[in-house]
Amino acid sequence: MSTQSPSPGPVSVQVQTRNPISLRLRKILGTNFTDQATTEALRTLSHLYGTNHPSDQPSPVTNSDTESDSESETLVDLTVDFSSETASRARKNLRRDLENTLAEGSRQFLQAFSEVDQKLDAIQAHVSAMRACCDDADAQLRLTAESSKSLLDRAGSLRQEREVVETRKSIVMLFLDRFTVTDEEAEAMTSRDVPVGKRFFSAMSKTERIRADCRVLMSGEDGPTKAGLDIMASTSSYLEQGYEKIYRYCSFEFRQMGRDVHLEVSPIMREAIRRLRQRPELLSEALTLLTTTRQTSLLSAFLAALTRGSGGGGRPIELHAHDPIRYVGDMLAWVHQAIAAECEFLEGLFGLGEGSADGDNGEGEFGVDGDEVRERQRRRMVGSVRTFGAGEEWVGELLNGAVEKLCVPLKVRVQQTVRSQESSIVSYKVANLLEYYTLTMRRTIGEGAVLCKTLDEITEVSYKVFFDAIEAQGRTLLRTSLDPDDPSVRPPLPILEHAQLLREIIQVYDSSLLRGDTNTAPAPANTAHTSPSAATPGPFTFKRILDALLDPALEMCLGAAEEKKRLRPRWDQAVFGVNCLTYLQSVLEPFNFTLDKQLEIQGVIDERVKLLTDEHYENILKDASLYDAIEACQTKNPSEPLARIPATQPAQLRSSLSKFSHWLSGLEVVHSPRLAQLTMYPATSIHQAALARLARAYGKLCEEVRRVGSGYEAGSTLLGSERPFGKIGLLFQIFGLEEDQGEDEDEEKVDEEEEDEEEEEEGDSEEEYEDDDEDDGKDQDGDDEGGEGDEDEDDGEEED
Amino acid sequence: MAPDEFDVGATELLETYDFLMKYIIIGEAGTGKSCLLHQFTHNAFKDHSQHTIGVEFSSRTVKLGEKRIKLQLWDTAGQERFRSVTRSYYRGAAGVILVYDITNRDSFLNMSRWLTDARALASPHLVAVLVGNKSDREEDREVEWAEASRWAAENDVHFLEASSLSGDNVEAPFLLAARSILLSIESGALDPEKAGSGVSYGDRALRRVTSSSHLSFGSLSGARKRRSGGFRLKNWVPSGKCC
Ligand SMILES: Nc1nc2c(ncn2[C@@H]2O[C@H](COP(=O)(O)OP(=O)(O)O)[C@@H](O)[C@H]2O)c(=O)[nH]1
Ligand SMILES: [Mg+2]
Repeated sequence: MSTQSPSPGPVSVQVQTRNPISLRLRKILGTNFTDQATTEALRTLSHLYGTNHPSDQPSPVTNSDTESDSESETLVDLTVDFSSETASRARKNLRRDLENTLAEGSRQFLQAFSEVDQKLDAIQAHVSAMRACCDDADAQLRLTAESSKSLLDRAGSLRQEREVVETRKSIVMLFLDRFTVTDEEAEAMTSRDVPVGKRFFSAMSKTERIRADCRVLMSGEDGPTKAGLDIMASTSSYLEQGYEKIYRYCSFEFRQMGRDVHLEVSPIMREAIRRLRQRPELLSEALTLLTTTRQTSLLSAFLAALTRGSGGGGRPIELHAHDPIRYVGDMLAWVHQAIAAECEFLEGLFGLGEGSADGDNGEGEFGVDGDEVRERQRRRMVGSVRTFGAGEEWVGELLNGAVEKLCVPLKVRVQQTVRSQESSIVSYKVANLLEYYTLTMRRTIGEGAVLCKTLDEITEVSYKVFFDAIEAQGRTLLRTSLDPDDPSVRPPLPILEHAQLLREIIQVYDSSLLRGDTNTAPAPANTAHTSPSAATPGPFTFKRILDALLDPALEMCLGAAEEKKRLRPRWDQAVFGVNCLTYLQSVLEPFNFTLDKQLEIQGVIDERVKLLTDEHYENILKDASLYDAIEACQTKNPSEPLARIPATQPAQLRSSLSKFSHWLSGLEVVHSPRLAQLTMYPATSIHQAALARLARAYGKLCEEVRRVGSGYEAGSTLLGSERPFGKIGLLFQIFGLEEDQGEDEDEEKVDEEEEDEEEEEEGDSEEEYEDDDEDDGKDQDGDDEGGEGDEDEDDGEEED
Repeated sequence: MAPDEFDVGATELLETYDFLMKYIIIGEAGTGKSCLLHQFTHNAFKDHSQHTIGVEFSSRTVKLGEKRIKLQLWDTAGQERFRSVTRSYYRGAAGVILVYDITNRDSFLNMSRWLTDARALASPHLVAVLVGNKSDREEDREVEWAEASRWAAENDVHFLEASSLSGDNVEAPFLLAARSILLSIESGALDPEKAGSGVSYGDRALRRVTSSSHLSFGSLSGARKRRSGGFRLKNWVPSGKCC
């Protein structure tokens, strides 16, 4: 604003020129009134008076300031410019106005302050009222605080109490959870609406566990608690209802298991059975039902297979009733297969099978997914021998029961077949087959099973039928007499036929189903053998068969021959006997399981051969004309000289020796027509034995003749006159025998001594006979050939 | 309740089977029939295999695609003297595994006789698989693969070589036969309902029938229709309700 001050210049120029006082004014005007305080004061002043000019009062008061000499003058000057009237009034009344204004102001102050004072008094009153209130409140607060303290204490203890209760509650909850059955679980166990299944089983498991835990608790020092007893009582009822329910379920299911031969076991069923094993009486009741159903269905399936052919191939088994082996075999195979299926079913029912958990592992198979593994483990050869475990006993018993009803129709049919058999071979085969199946079934369903007993019985029956047949055949053979007009010494037709039967039976036995078994599976087969009820199979039975077949044959060969001999004395019974025996023996020979019988027959043969040899020896002694001389030599009184005995008087002896010498060059030395009739026994061995005996007897005779006291004048000369010149070695040579072929030891010893002596004696003269010997040798060769030829002829005859 | 049932159902399906088939295993003694079977059922070689006495039984369930098939396996003795017994088991067999020994020519030459026998006595739709066993003994081979294969083709049987010692190809013959039999069923040629077919339905197949078509039974639906199903079905339905 100060910068603008010079602008109203023209006004001040006028003043300077008119008035001397202007100088002073100028001076005053030169004073600067533009400072803040002055301006403020002026404005206040202006207001004071400006109140008369309400609206149009001009604002630029300051413009006039520069021309006024004094404060008031200036003010007047200024006011004059605009309103000279107001300014003059102001000049006159300023002081009074001011004082009035001041007084007015003070009055207003006073008034205002008195109001304030009044108000303050009111406030004062309020404040004291408030103070009183506050004091009141304070007192009250203090009171409250005191009383709430006990409350807080109580709240704290209550809180603690609550925590304790809370813990207790959770314990109780846990306990309840552990020791009580929920409604849902109870429902699962008792309601008919909840099926036997996972939910049911877990409820059962829990109940069982509760009881187990509870029992443990109650076994503590405190003894049974009330809660414990309650729990036991309530769970027991649930559990029993649960078992009842399982029982009903099983019974229902079992009743359905009627029609199929092949059955499956659902895991639920298996679990049900596993659990029901805790209540054996319920289980066995249910299983009785199962057995009944299975019996009926197996029986009707069997009958259907027999008559309608549902068993397979579409054709009924009875269609082959004319073929006993096939008929019986098919029936038994059907039964075997039915047993295998039944066994699988039952093993499944009891969760058996090798390696599979036998049940008692809590939840059983439920929720476990190792099915594939278990299934693999479960596979087992049904035929293999088994050990009976806990579940196996049930299975065994059930299996036994299930097939029980098959026994009667099976037995009836088999017996019918067996009894109507004409051929003993077929009976034997059937008996064999039955015996094989007896063993197979024993391994499959156990020895005590009814089926096994039945099989034992029918096996026995069929063996009896067979034995009856062959024994009858034996008796018939014994009754047969030999044709007295038949000169043949070969085994007669009845024997040949009988031997054929024998041969066939041996072959059946040789290829029998059981032979392999007795060889390879020692334990079960052996126990089977010792079982008294069974028609004892194996070698023992076969010995019986051989006896039954051979003994009558042997008896017939010998007995009937005796009879024929009486009727026809010239008939060669001895050769006939040996022929028959060796023939029968030849039937046995290829089979070493007949060794015992072979040895027995061999004994008889040896006996017969010995008799024959004796006879033959006597015969050739007679033929060789030495009989009387040797007889005399052997039977004479030792003190009596040989030469005195009629048969060996020198002339007689010479004649005999001469005949003997002649005989020696004959054919009979190497060949006996009689022995040629032997069909199987080597004739030469008998003949040679007889010749050797003859040689030794000749040796003894020579010895006796040479002996000093024998009464011959020139014993050696007598002997040396004819071949073999009293030389036993030469005789052996002629016979083509080794010298040491002695008959009994005593004779041999004697012979040996003699030979030693003789060899020395012979020493020089040996060459003499060489030439003769050559001839003899040739003869012998020829004879040998002839002999062989005869044997060939024999063979030929045999063929005829 | 519902989930429980479902669970049980699931386990059930693992346990049961769609079909039951009867097989016989035949061939000369010593060709390794028992070992083959043992390898198949136990996954192990059977040491010290004794001669089989008559007939022995074992079983195994196999999976073929979706289907579970229970195989009833009848191992037979090869010796002549057991023929009359073993023949009785041919009845109603659906499959036959003919086993010869590739190191024994005679055992192969006899195959015709075995096959004829089996065809005469077993199911009319008998499926045969020829197995040349002991393929591990290549150095002693007496029967060429080609020769056996030709014979098999001529006689309308499947053929493969296997080793029950090493386990090579041991499962194949059994599965091959099962597949053929299944095909026969699908084509309608073989009816498991009929006696003597050597095949029958298992519970699993029946369940599928009851639970209607939403379970894939494949093209076998035609065959299963014929099952009268009275009692078996009854068997299943109430297990949800009774007791
Ligand atoms: N090297 C070899 N030997 C085998 C094989 N299979 C079986 N064998 C042997 O052959 C013999 C007869 O086996 P086995 O199964 O009893 O024959 P089966 O009479 O047909 O039952 C036994 O000694 C086995 O060890 C094979 O695959 N390889
Ligand atoms: Mg075998």
